Amino acid sequence: MNKKMVFMLVSLLVLMSVLAGCGSSNSTAESNGSKANQSTNTSGENKSEAEPFEVVLRHIHIRDTAKQTLAILQDAVKATEADVPGLKISLDGVEDAVNRDVKLKAEMAAGNQPPIFSLFGGADTENYSKAGRLLPLNDILTELGIQDSFFDLREFTVDGKIYGLPESGYIEGFFYNKKLFEQVGASVPATWDELVDAMEKLKAGGITPIAMGAGSGDGWVINMLANSMFVALGGPELQEGFATGAAKWTDPAVVEAFKRIEFLVQHQYIDPNVLGLKFPQGQANFYTGKAAMLFDGSWAVNAITGESSTVKDDAGFFRFPDVGGKGDGYINGGWSNGYGFSAAVNERELQAVKAFIKNFFSMENQKRTLVETSQIASMKGITDIQGANDLIKTIGEAQGSAKGAFPAFDSVVQPQVKVALETNMQQLLGGKVTPEQAAENMQKVQDEANAASN
Amino acid sequence: MAPYILARESWWITHMKNIQRNYWAYVIFVVPALLIYVTFYLYPLFQSLQYSLTKWNGINDPVFVGLSNFAKAISDEQFWVSFKNNIYFVLFSVFIQVPFIVFISIIVSSAKRFLNFYKLTVFLPCILSTASIGVIWQFIYSPDAGLLNQLLTAVGLESWKRIWLGDEATAFLSILLTNGWQWTGFYIVLVLAAIFAIPKEMLEAGEMDGATGWRKAWLLTIPLIRPVIMVTLLLSITGAMKALDIILIMTKGGPFGSSEVMASYMYKQAYTINDFGYANAIAVIVSLFTAVLSLIFQYINVKTREASE
Repeated sequence: MNKKMVFMLVSLLVLMSVLAGCGSSNSTAESNGSKANQSTNTSGENKSEAEPFEVVLRHIHIRDTAKQTLAILQDAVKATEADVPGLKISLDGVEDAVNRDVKLKAEMAAGNQPPIFSLFGGADTENYSKAGRLLPLNDILTELGIQDSFFDLREFTVDGKIYGLPESGYIEGFFYNKKLFEQVGASVPATWDELVDAMEKLKAGGITPIAMGAGSGDGWVINMLANSMFVALGGPELQEGFATGAAKWTDPAVVEAFKRIEFLVQHQYIDPNVLGLKFPQGQANFYTGKAAMLFDGSWAVNAITGESSTVKDDAGFFRFPDVGGKGDGYINGGWSNGYGFSAAVNERELQAVKAFIKNFFSMENQKRTLVETSQIASMKGITDIQGANDLIKTIGEAQGSAKGAFPAFDSVVQPQVKVALETNMQQLLGGKVTPEQAAENMQKVQDEANAASN
Repeated sequence: MAPYILARESWWITHMKNIQRNYWAYVIFVVPALLIYVTFYLYPLFQSLQYSLTKWNGINDPVFVGLSNFAKAISDEQFWVSFKNNIYFVLFSVFIQVPFIVFISIIVSSAKRFLNFYKLTVFLPCILSTASIGVIWQFIYSPDAGLLNQLLTAVGLESWKRIWLGDEATAFLSILLTNGWQWTGFYIVLVLAAIFAIPKEMLEAGEMDGATGWRKAWLLTIPLIRPVIMVTLLLSITGAMKALDIILIMTKGGPFGSSEVMASYMYKQAYTINDFGYANAIAVIVSLFTAVLSLIFQYINVKTREASE
């Protein structure tokens, strides 16, 4: 018996050491492998430039509605391949949420991210840059002479270093159905009172004033409206202060904003089915003419002018009306999705990265982004917008006439605060909390988040 | 012939004895399986335990914070909502779903004709993936055009109409029904097989003694298929504890977290909030709770078996 016990222990030890051996030998093999790779690469370079090599480019344009966006990318890839001898770029399309929340995150944790990948600004960029995974682009931008060409690189900048480049931008505001407005004699509102007046007329006419799907995991849809509301009342500096403690969710401006959301719910100005619908269903209620307004970002233009839309020629856009607060005239807009590059690229891959930036972030492509995909450009200086659809032109005008833009609040607060606002706004929609309670709940989460990040 | 077989057997026996004496043979046989078990089961489990004691966003280096993630779970109202929902899930499975399964199985088993048709019909939902089932039922529960609300309107019960998945009062129940719909068929086929495996003579003898209809079912059929019912119960309980996919597809825990279960809450903490430390702590709690639940179930199982014997 004793002998058996001893034996079992010994065999367990053997097993453990074998396992441990496995682990370490594996990792050394790996690092050896990558070293070997690098050395073959450099020696390959010495022999001949044209030795073929492959660079993976992860993008998120896999939907049918993103066909044009993908086409622009493909053209830039072709041009890049022509510029760099031996380069073959393989496009790896992954659904956006899967890439952002699962795949890229796992790769970043392991350090095996592809050389070029779709990247979001804000918290994502900050975390990845702190882990040393992202390539700083300042020198490359200077070399290519486009360091001052972008509208806004705030969300991709950490401690003065630029880690990503936005592909396009967005602004948020109200889309409206001109025909339905005409039918009930409502005019395009410029102030909150006019908006209420228009909604009342629409409701009296048996039309749902605001289409919205914010049920299930789509609480962010109501967040958009709440965000514009509290910034309009409290000014853009309000949301910048949440994470630093300079501003609170219990400030009068925020509570008043929540009260106005409650007002919209209680008067059924927002579709009463809002919690039973997902974001695309809410959008569809607008573009099939069932509701008169939709608060959404400029990305909705493709759906609203798309094939299944019945309001293609009747859709207009106006920015969030003035409410008599500090943020009147500002518009929620940002440039938060684009491309980032791996810090682990070797010499030849770096060449490919440079060529890609040169070919992709060009005036020509920016114009195509606006005209062909109806999205807001990320680089300044487009003069000729012939061929762009009327709706995107209207949006451009709204952007142009705004005092300035402010980013979505979730790029300046911690992720758990964003989720907490989704929950609280859904509760507000469902009549489960009062605006004051919601504000207090929010501040509690904000305090915890601030304490945890200090 | 015979002596040859005998010789072979004796060869085998002596060699077996040698092997039994030779402990290295044990090691050689056991190590591969143990290796797989350790790498894919024990190691991740311990890693999870390790991360549950840290503050970690999944990318940067984890920071040791002791038991604070567990303390956070205890004071986190939202976590308790999801915990309660798991309990409802288990209770629903045990006290509503399983009795229903047994009831339907007994009815189907006494069908004289179209037996295969019934079997096929009840089994059908089971061959669909959870993703498609989630989407189908989302349409059924949809507020305006949904089948359920349309049906209620058609039969004059307009006041019963609800925003099924968007109302705190009905969202989780709607998911439970969908989940039940998906799995009932599978368990019915299991129970049916057990019923058909009961020797005819036993049932006939019972019938002669006057046990017919529901008396027969209660006194004969159910006690005889008890082991299969127990397996069904165990599978339902563990299934209820690890439910995740159907929640993510149908409500993502909404509205406002009211239909969250522990697994979906863990997923949210990890992949939306980036709090992998807390997510791992929840994972540990789920494992412990499931283990405790299984032990309680096993205890009750043994007790009731002793009582019935």
